[in-house]
Amino acid sequence: MAAIRKSRTISGATLLRLALLAALVVAFAIWNPAFISGRNLYALMQSFALLGMVALGLSLTMIAGEFDLSVGSMVAVGGLITLVVGAGNLVQGMAAALAFAVLVGLVNAIVISRFKVSSLVVSVGSMMALSGFAFWLAGGKVISTDNFDLGMALDDPLLTVLSWRSLVTLAAFLLVGLFMHYTLMGRDIRVVGSKPQVAAASGARVGRSLVIVFVISAVTAALAGSLLSMSLASAAATTGSTLMLQAVSAAIVGGVALTGGSGTPAHVLLGSLILTVMNNGLSLIGMAATGILFANGLVLMGIVLLDGQLGAWMSERLAMSRAANSA
Amino acid sequence: MAGFDATALGASLIRPERIQSTAVWATTVLFALWASFAVPGFSSSANVSAIMYSTSAVGIAAVGMSLITLSGNLFMLSMGATAAVSTILFASFLHFGLLASVILVVLIGGLFGLAQGIAVGVFRTNPIITTIAMASIITGAGSFYSGGLTVVGQGDASWLGVGRTLGLPNQILLFLLAAIVLSFIVERTRFGRELRLIGLNPKAAGFTGLRVGRTLVLAYLFAAMAAAFAGALYGSQAAQGNLKLGAGLDFDAIAAVLVGGVAIKGGQGRVLDAAIGAVFLAMISNILLLKGLSLEIQLIVKGLVVIGSVILGALALGFRR
Repeated sequence: MAAIRKSRTISGATLLRLALLAALVVAFAIWNPAFISGRNLYALMQSFALLGMVALGLSLTMIAGEFDLSVGSMVAVGGLITLVVGAGNLVQGMAAALAFAVLVGLVNAIVISRFKVSSLVVSVGSMMALSGFAFWLAGGKVISTDNFDLGMALDDPLLTVLSWRSLVTLAAFLLVGLFMHYTLMGRDIRVVGSKPQVAAASGARVGRSLVIVFVISAVTAALAGSLLSMSLASAAATTGSTLMLQAVSAAIVGGVALTGGSGTPAHVLLGSLILTVMNNGLSLIGMAATGILFANGLVLMGIVLLDGQLGAWMSERLAMSRAANSA
Repeated sequence: MAGFDATALGASLIRPERIQSTAVWATTVLFALWASFAVPGFSSSANVSAIMYSTSAVGIAAVGMSLITLSGNLFMLSMGATAAVSTILFASFLHFGLLASVILVVLIGGLFGLAQGIAVGVFRTNPIITTIAMASIITGAGSFYSGGLTVVGQGDASWLGVGRTLGLPNQILLFLLAAIVLSFIVERTRFGRELRLIGLNPKAAGFTGLRVGRTLVLAYLFAAMAAAFAGALYGSQAAQGNLKLGAGLDFDAIAAVLVGGVAIKGGQGRVLDAAIGAVFLAMISNILLLKGLSLEIQLIVKGLVVIGSVILGALALGFRR
């Protein structure tokens, strides 16, 4: 009985998100028909390529009951390393950026699990250090490259709306989704997030879960930054400063609970798409960047309120009125 | 307070949960002594006042932040946004007069804090995400208000910006005042006791009849007012306001709170620990600056100092076992 109920709520949640996404698309298309033009959908998917990738990694740390505040500055560092190290060969630069990200993720995870320190605190520290590193790498300038070939290839439209860059993000969602769904490690990560006290007792590999989620979080952020810097042929230390907010919004819109343990990459994919559609649509109807920031904040605030007592109170009222109706 | 018990003081300084803050106090003093001999220019009066100016706003925000950390709600990530918008408000209200402008700014900042306090304290929302969300709402609203431009203040803000009393910058005096007042509130009032008890054991706090909602609303109110006041300080120094001024305050304040030794789990630590953390970090940055290291290196060092002090704090608590 419980199992049936559970699967029903999950598909209900997916349906709700799909409906929200469809409603947003229809609303924006009516407001401004240019919204569903191939060009705009392509631009939308390009923004998704950046946001979705960062949200994917961040959501894993949230599923494990932790939080990685450093993703925003990791995006900047990833982009800068790619161009600075890869001055001659961008692929080499990207490899360096990813290797550095693995290192950062490892350090984050080891400090968190060895010293039993809150991940929020550790990632505040690594965020500051990374942001300093980014400013140091950039040296107060915007770093650019004259190697446009790779960036053009990455951004070449495929099937009108896609590009290699957005395909990489979609592939990352698929890979991480399969990993979380089909491997024991994926189960461990969820258990660590939902029941930290019993996780170790029940044989979940707590330390290794943390290493995996923090490495993936750092790597996806660095990869997003790296690919972005290639396609822009430039990178700056301030890139990604508002990305962390958007990524956490995407994860939460995607139903990743703030308390850990729940959420799937498929839902985060939907959450990221919903947020990207919202941001793209708002900017298409002429809202300024800070207005969009404001809107993101309102959405996030609304969701945390629903996530807290207010939501509990509302669903209680709903259940009561339903019971009264059926009686 | 009658009679000074040196033994008790000594014992309390090396209690495991106090080790870190004692170490930071001692290190700050030792560093200051060392630097005044070893770093040329450190003890010059111009440099000492530079340290004071860079301590003041961060210090005020840090003592405000410490209330949130003590309450067990980790950090308030909207302080930078509050301070940044406050620089704009400060500049745009300055024609009413300096005092009126500061009061208006702090009251509006208080409203931001009230909203967050009600969300976290009454509706039990996640404190981190709530303050992240509020940060973008505040920034968005501030940018709408200023049109994204720098607002130049019409009026005289020099008393707050560069003024001195008895040779000390007014800003540092206000920081000391804020630290002492908040410290008194936390150590000596019912609100303060409840705040720390809630931080120590949030689950038990509700059952034992502590006024959890009310206490948290007050904590966020005070913290946001501190952030707004810090913004007024920045605004008065620059005699203008924009969204970049003070935007990085969150992390400076967090760094001060953590380095000072306020326990991240809540309930343990003192407001003055956060204040000394701010002094310590300002001094480190200043020494790095005098040694010719760039702002970027200072940022990296700050991040590493935070991680290091958190590890030290965890180790110190480990000694208990």
